[in-house]
Amino acid sequence: MQSSADGLTGAGSLVESAPAVDIRGITKRFGPVTACDGVDLTLRRGRIHGILGENGAGKSTLMKMLIGLVLPDEGSICIDGVPQQIHSPLAAASLGIGMVHQHFSLVDALTVWENVALGEAGRLNPASIRNRIGEIADHYGLIIDPDARVGNLTAGLRQRVEIIKCLRRDPSILIFDEPTSVLTPEESVQLFSSLRQVVTEEGRAVVLVSHKLDEVLHATDDISIMRQGKVVDRLLAGDTDAPTLARGMVGRDVSLRSESAALGVLVIDEDGAKALDSNASPDAVPAVSSPPILTIDRATLRGPGGTPVLDDFSLELHPGEIVGVAGVEGNGQRELGDLLSSLVSLNSGSVAIEGTRVPDGRSGAMAKAGIGVIPEDRHDSGIVLDMTLAENLILVDQSRVSTGGVINQVELDDFAREMISQFGIHCSGPDAPMWSLSGGNQQRVVLARELAQHPKVLVAAQPTRGLDVGAIEYMGDRLKSAAADGVAVLLISSELEEILDLSHRIVVMHAGRIVGGMDRANVSLESLGLMMGGVAQ
Amino acid sequence: MSGFFEAVIDIFTSESTYINGALFAGFLAFAASGELVAERAGTINISVEGMLLGGAFTSAVGYHLTGSTIAAMAAGVLGGVIVAGVQAEMSHRLSADQFVVGLTLNILVFGLAGFLDNELEPDTELASRWEVPVLSDIPLLGQALFGQRWPFYLLYLLVPFTWWVLYRTRWGLELRSVGENPQSADVSGIDVNRRRRQSIYYAGLTSGLGGWFLIFGQIGLFEDSVVGGRGFIAIAAVIFGGWTLRGTIAGCVIFAGALSFRLSVQGLGYEVNSELLQSLPFIVTLAGMAVFAHRVRPPAALAQPFVRGLK
Repeated sequence: MQSSADGLTGAGSLVESAPAVDIRGITKRFGPVTACDGVDLTLRRGRIHGILGENGAGKSTLMKMLIGLVLPDEGSICIDGVPQQIHSPLAAASLGIGMVHQHFSLVDALTVWENVALGEAGRLNPASIRNRIGEIADHYGLIIDPDARVGNLTAGLRQRVEIIKCLRRDPSILIFDEPTSVLTPEESVQLFSSLRQVVTEEGRAVVLVSHKLDEVLHATDDISIMRQGKVVDRLLAGDTDAPTLARGMVGRDVSLRSESAALGVLVIDEDGAKALDSNASPDAVPAVSSPPILTIDRATLRGPGGTPVLDDFSLELHPGEIVGVAGVEGNGQRELGDLLSSLVSLNSGSVAIEGTRVPDGRSGAMAKAGIGVIPEDRHDSGIVLDMTLAENLILVDQSRVSTGGVINQVELDDFAREMISQFGIHCSGPDAPMWSLSGGNQQRVVLARELAQHPKVLVAAQPTRGLDVGAIEYMGDRLKSAAADGVAVLLISSELEEILDLSHRIVVMHAGRIVGGMDRANVSLESLGLMMGGVAQ
Repeated sequence: MSGFFEAVIDIFTSESTYINGALFAGFLAFAASGELVAERAGTINISVEGMLLGGAFTSAVGYHLTGSTIAAMAAGVLGGVIVAGVQAEMSHRLSADQFVVGLTLNILVFGLAGFLDNELEPDTELASRWEVPVLSDIPLLGQALFGQRWPFYLLYLLVPFTWWVLYRTRWGLELRSVGENPQSADVSGIDVNRRRRQSIYYAGLTSGLGGWFLIFGQIGLFEDSVVGGRGFIAIAAVIFGGWTLRGTIAGCVIFAGALSFRLSVQGLGYEVNSELLQSLPFIVTLAGMAVFAHRVRPPAALAQPFVRGLK
């Protein structure tokens, strides 16, 4: 950006390099939190601009201001040199700004063409919308059936619909928010090649928001790194490398493996994975000869439409091992977690702990049998935000602090203090309301509660989602030490890096089945990628 | 036992069963078509009961003042829309709980209509009967479908219009998206709460027509008990119909059948415990819900308030 941007070298290049978007001193506060703090950002036509940062660095808020979903408190946004107030997504669209959202902006119950038509004005003309979808599909190679119901499409196809919806308005500025979080590696490669086409042949400005270093390094031209609401570094993709980016993102050197895993440095190619093995390997591989502690036998669960979301799913877990369940999100991982949390009843198949069958779908039965769960969505099913820390610690089991159904406040406080010190929870005390804790500390409360039950099996579903690097590292250490204590750990994660970092054994889920597995020691990223795409090995 | 079957056959071969059934179904269909639109946009609009009663009352007053059935219709729509306005603005502008607003509103309208009815005592009379040539001579169903008072025939416009609005216009597409996934709709540039308010106004409009139809097409006289809980049966018809228009109308017909059956039993002189008979339509409604309610998928964001901002 420094080299090509600022020079007034001639009339022709001046027109070409006039910034499509010029953001100056943008600030946005949510209550006491400053999400964006005096951010400057310049986007140019014909270039892909990567915005890199950890969760909570302010990337999404910045983009939401550009798209009109959030209004800035201070600062200005110029589009093609003209200052603009962008107060709604429609206004943004009329300025030529389109966004492909992280969690798609699609309505499942509607068809593809209905979704594409959403948010436009004027008469509804299905035929012309279908035609336009066909044209865009041909031009960019984004083939799709306009009459398919969006809810029935795979994540990759849904994103395709999202991109078509965006391109239909012919935007000159295109924003992609964490576009690969739900894609297989192959789908990601496809996405980036159509991105290149959009940029180089049609001179659009593209923003790629991501927390994955590799992605940003390989797919972009300019890079801005955000940390704590500020742009801390601006780089050219060609002049930098992953360690520099990681340092900029975290604000210090990244040496620990779990940190680099969390930042997405690892999965780049086979060599990277092998290099990894040499610098650290998962601690003491357990003896697999011991009898399994958890046995899931041919579990089948049908979804609302009758299609199986768990399909003849079988898995055995042995004491002391960490088994990573990899796969693209939405392939039954959530349902697997739900099954082991007693939330769903199987259509057929069974779950057993140490050979004893555990009734599925009976509230609390799995927990009683010794399965602890760190749920996928902490706020939805892990904690109660409006209750105190101490109360959250005893949500699953009150017996240790109560007699005859009456909770002993003194014992509860003692127990909570013990947990606070043992798990290093930062808080004002046992009576701190749960919402006053940071995400990482909330997750520590969940972890403390589950481990205090001395579970035989610990299910960790997306345990580090939305956490910062320090908290991710802590969670990894805790899972490892739980395994070392003989707990069988089932790690369900869509972050392949996390799974590679922690697991002794990896299985891959696709369409509700296990399509293959391998030991961590003999991992092949290529075949992992293929399995995630549904190719059985 | 043979007496029982005879009675049933008697009832099902009696033209009056069908005429009453059509009247009851028509009344429900006015309310249910608007209720469907409101629910597809995400509101369980329980104030439909109050909208019906409000519309019935204002249409009676409108007729009392002007002597015109058309003016009464306009007044009825106004009454329904006023009640809808309170529901819409309270629940989708001020973010008050939609059920609390709806419940309160139903009680308020009931009290207000009763009080004003005593004060004003509006005079009303039934609209004239229009017999459609040829069609009204069809055995059993002819009189029921084509021999009614003219307000009934408005349904033949309203129901197709509702279908067209919901499935063939941009407004309808946006309504449905707002009821399924308000976050996505918002991101796509649709004003979610505005669409939801509009959908409730539509329910107010059709319920206002329903109230007017009740007075001028069916009963001829306003009392505060004219609606008598049938707004809730309209809601049940929407659920029974799986939030589709076709299913909703089918629900209206089935529930109306039970109401009409009850009337025919008494009208034809059969003796059945009248309290038991009174509860028949509600038993049918409950049974219908028990059988069908779990098979259908409601709009995903039904009854969830939408507050804009970060999620």
